[in-house]
Amino acid sequence: MVLKIRLARFGRRNAPFYNIVVAHARTARNDRPLEVLGTYDPIPKPDPYDNSGRLHKDIKLDTLRTKYWIGVGAQPTDTMWRLLSMLGIVEPKYRNTDPRTPPPLPGQPRDTKPQAPQ
Amino acid sequence: MPPRLLIPSASAAAAASAVTRSTLPLNVNQLISLLRSQTKANFSTTSNRTHFSKGRRLFRQWIKGFGATFRKHVPGDTNYLRRNDFDSKSDKPFPINPQFRSEPVLDDHARELIWEKVMRNGEAIKAVSAELGVDIRRVAAIVRLKEVEKDWLAKGQILAKPYAKAILAMLPTHTFKADQRNEPFEPINELHVHPYTMKQIFWPTSESRHFTRADAAKAFHPKMLSADERVPHPELIQMEKEVLEGHSLWDASERFKQAVMESERRAAQKEIEKASIEEKYTTRVHTKRFEYRFKQINSENVGSKGRARNAVGWRYGAPHYDRSKGEIKIPTSVP
Repeated sequence: MVLKIRLARFGRRNAPFYNIVVAHARTARNDRPLEVLGTYDPIPKPDPYDNSGRLHKDIKLDTLRTKYWIGVGAQPTDTMWRLLSMLGIVEPKYRNTDPRTPPPLPGQPRDTKPQAPQ
Repeated sequence: MPPRLLIPSASAAAAASAVTRSTLPLNVNQLISLLRSQTKANFSTTSNRTHFSKGRRLFRQWIKGFGATFRKHVPGDTNYLRRNDFDSKSDKPFPINPQFRSEPVLDDHARELIWEKVMRNGEAIKAVSAELGVDIRRVAAIVRLKEVEKDWLAKGQILAKPYAKAILAMLPTHTFKADQRNEPFEPINELHVHPYTMKQIFWPTSESRHFTRADAAKAFHPKMLSADERVPHPELIQMEKEVLEGHSLWDASERFKQAVMESERRAAQKEIEKASIEEKYTTRVHTKRFEYRFKQINSENVGSKGRARNAVGWRYGAPHYDRSKGEIKIPTSVP
């Protein structure tokens, strides 16, 4: 567990911007890393000329290099694990624990209250 | 602290005493001025002038004489000051600043016409620009703003039409008529002076040979494009060349319209290709709240010293330029 794939925080106060980096685990957060693999902007943004309210998060990642580092034993942090699991590079750690509601039958009104599993 | 003079009562008393000393009964004007002075608000601490100064006297003479023409504004015409009747109506709104020239502005009918030509009739922006004599960037801006305006109207947003009408009535305006020969609004095929062309060069060339603009560009720099290629409307230059060769104006203008459509189609195609390449390297993952867009990059594109300008990642050790002067901190292009 010497190497970690983690986020180095930059940006401004209340406006973070992260570098996705490979670094030794015991170094400071913003120290010079072994390699910068990409960036992660946690603040969701709308598309220009889109009034629907849909937001997206921009992440840049070198997947080839990330797979190499994972292959030689770098450990991603929780947030990085979540992002990498979205790409399928690692298995997701946390499953969706919301109570399961069956989809509404066609013709019936949608019931928004979650029902107990039967 | 300046002495607090009870101006209304003082003036009222003075007026009253003046009135009683002068003829009775009061005429209407004196009565009105007396009533006005008695109802004035007593909040000003500035003391009254002690005498009727020369400046005020001259102004009174002017506003009763020549200045009376400026009291009423004729809509559709400017109302800028001029010295006397013999001076023609100029485009200088500030007499002591002759460098400030009021440029004509396109009125709403002209803007509506441009929007209709581009969005309804589907004409190319370059074609509309060449026909009406409006710069390409201005045509594009008019179309964008008109789209915003129509979007607002569709959403029921109230527009400030009386304000716009009033302001437009005070400025020199330029209008267009559909399907008629119109006066050009501004020069459209202007070129910025390129720094490479500011160099003084002695280029020996034989007198018997033609020396064209392309040769001149090569003389300035081997990779420089000629003026014919750098200009905003190269199709117009081609049209003029065809007319000089002897083709009819109609044929040349038809070919111009086709060339312009083709150039616009090519530009749109380039945009689509760029977007599709971006899409090829993007993975979209939808969660309940947001969409995550993962873009593939090469982390090794950092330049020979690791400081490439377009390398990915926030720079380590670079300062924030938030308070530095001269930095452009607003968007410089439309998304």
